[in-house]
Amino acid sequence: MTASELMQPAELIQEVQDASTAYDSVWAGASIPTQDLSGLEQVMLAHDKLYVVLAVVLIIWIGIVILLLRNDARLASVERIMEEQGTSFDDGL
Amino acid sequence: MINLRRYTLIRNIVLVWLSLVLLAAFLLNIPKINILEHTARNLYFHVPMWFTMMAAVFVSAYHSFQVLRSGDIVRDIRALQAARVGAFFGVLGLVTGIVWSKFTWYVGTDVWWNFDPRQSMVSLQLLIYGAYFVLRGALDDPNKRARIAAVYNLFAATTTPFLLYVIPRQMDSLHPGAEGNPAFSEITHPIMRLVFYPAIVGFIGMFWVLYTQRVRTALIKHRVTHDPEL
Repeated sequence: MTASELMQPAELIQEVQDASTAYDSVWAGASIPTQDLSGLEQVMLAHDKLYVVLAVVLIIWIGIVILLLRNDARLASVERIMEEQGTSFDDGL
Repeated sequence: MINLRRYTLIRNIVLVWLSLVLLAAFLLNIPKINILEHTARNLYFHVPMWFTMMAAVFVSAYHSFQVLRSGDIVRDIRALQAARVGAFFGVLGLVTGIVWSKFTWYVGTDVWWNFDPRQSMVSLQLLIYGAYFVLRGALDDPNKRARIAAVYNLFAATTTPFLLYVIPRQMDSLHPGAEGNPAFSEITHPIMRLVFYPAIVGFIGMFWVLYTQRVRTALIKHRVTHDPEL
């Protein structure tokens, strides 16, 4: 067996690996199909992509607001149960 | 059961702290990096989401372990609420990651989601925690529910480091820290660490505040209905 024959399996594996980026929508080696920037991208990429950071911060802020409102709803439901049970708030609250 | 003075103090510190982090995140100049440009600042927001989720998973698993040791229903309340708020931060991390990737990895294409290993694995992780909440809903007896849910939660917690860190790092991914892609420690300028580490502390503090709020509500519900599920 020659050295080149010994090399073959490794090369094969390498080739398979190169071709098996199944989760990639772009073929390896092909040029990336860049199209004209969409309207959304034109906005988001302005000022060196600063608005992307704004979007991320807003998502976190909106998320915290949603959790806050949900916590409030849970608290209200517990308060309703307490009222139905006639639990008194004599402790000064 | 909960030290209200300590809670109020920490809550106020966290709110001021995060406000300062937010200011520093936008006001401090950072080195220019091609493709990333200003989105490098997302390091202060997107990455701490995952640190916070990891911290929440630890808290949740710790209390689940205590449920199995003592059967204490209060531990079950804590485990559930830590997992809930943790999953919430996980969803925020995933969504902010999608937005970030759209305008860096996938710019000039219509792609929003391309099954990047890192994103796929954390989605799986969130589904595992989704199953934890569904499992709880299927059980009626609070004591039985506490024990069975604790066992499942410990399983969910042990999968987390693998799905978040170990497996994605061994696959081809566009995400930093993967195969053939430099990790945080090699590419991050010291000026960014000045904001990044406080941001992690701040968001973990935010987790603690939200989690404690929910634990307090659940404790009251437990007292009036003998069912702490929230």
